[in-house]
Amino acid sequence: MKRLLPSLRLKKRYLAFELICEVPANRNDLIKEVMSSASALLGDVVASECDIKVLGFEDCKGIIQCAHTRLKETRASMAALTRINGKRATLHILGTSGTIKRVTEKFLQNHKVFEPKSRQSPEIEGNR
Amino acid sequence: MGKPKFYDFCVHAVPDGDNTAPELAALAGYFGYGGIALANHSDKLPQSWPVLSLPEGFEIFKGIELVEENPSKLHGLIGKFRKSVDILIVHGGSETINRAALENPRVDILNHPAFDKSSGLNQVLAKAASENGVAVGLTLRPLLNSRGSRRIRLLSDLRANLDLARKYEVSLVLSSDAMSCFDLRAPMDALALAEICGLEEDEAIDAMSTVPEKIIFRKRPRNGYIREGVEVLEEVDYF
Repeated sequence: MKRLLPSLRLKKRYLAFELICEVPANRNDLIKEVMSSASALLGDVVASECDIKVLGFEDCKGIIQCAHTRLKETRASMAALTRINGKRATLHILGTSGTIKRVTEKFLQNHKVFEPKSRQSPEIEGNR
Repeated sequence: MGKPKFYDFCVHAVPDGDNTAPELAALAGYFGYGGIALANHSDKLPQSWPVLSLPEGFEIFKGIELVEENPSKLHGLIGKFRKSVDILIVHGGSETINRAALENPRVDILNHPAFDKSSGLNQVLAKAASENGVAVGLTLRPLLNSRGSRRIRLLSDLRANLDLARKYEVSLVLSSDAMSCFDLRAPMDALALAEICGLEEDEAIDAMSTVPEKIIFRKRPRNGYIREGVEVLEEVDYF
């Protein structure tokens, strides 16, 4: 099928994010949780207007695409994500931009994912 | 005007929450907060206040969240802790406690006022809150961790309190009420969430930055502050 003309395509925003989590999550679980969190917080109608897509995700960081008019709603529903596959996780949005190139250059290159110390030193957890 | 500094005024560290104070502080600093207040519930206080090496521009305030069923005992507890902490929060949840907290000007914030079938505030209490300068706390953790009918309930309570707060000019404080580091949210994400839940943009920013700054200022006035409206800005030797 012929692709839409650039002027007819909807404008998008790209959000760079990192996932701070207990156990590393895989892509499919993340997508499932992102969608269910958006539909639970915003309702299916508004969530569909947001046009949320997880574009890339590896090493606990990635890019989410949304409609540029619905940035706030998308951010809120990403903040409402609390668990992935039953394990606690936080999706931290690093920044937003209008192009994938810019969002990768500005926020994802050379970015080290923050790790809560509890994951690095499990023996402290055991003592409690 | 520069970038506002954001504060999170209700964070629970060990033994109340799951993470230690340095872990929470590190994450909050990384998220871009200007400061957090460690406010453990009064029945789970740490033995001693941790001494931390803090990144520049990040502060940790001493706080406490009083849990008490009896209003007269609550006033006693307020008197006992007021001098030693920066931020005094009362954990509400019944009509008498909400009333006692909002009518005591030494209280800074009332958290979780909702009970049974009420949002916890009414016109009388809202008026008392604005007269005594007690802020009403909005907490993110219950909102994040519940779904369906419970979250709907929380949101409608929030809206009811918000309407009263607007009408009677009660100040609001938005905090995470974090029990572990996974309950903390970055300031911009928390703002977006607050706006979805019905706050206006400037109200949400006030609730995370201006109101907390005022509360801190009450406790630690700047040098040269004499009383409300009177302040020595520049000291010059005239003689």
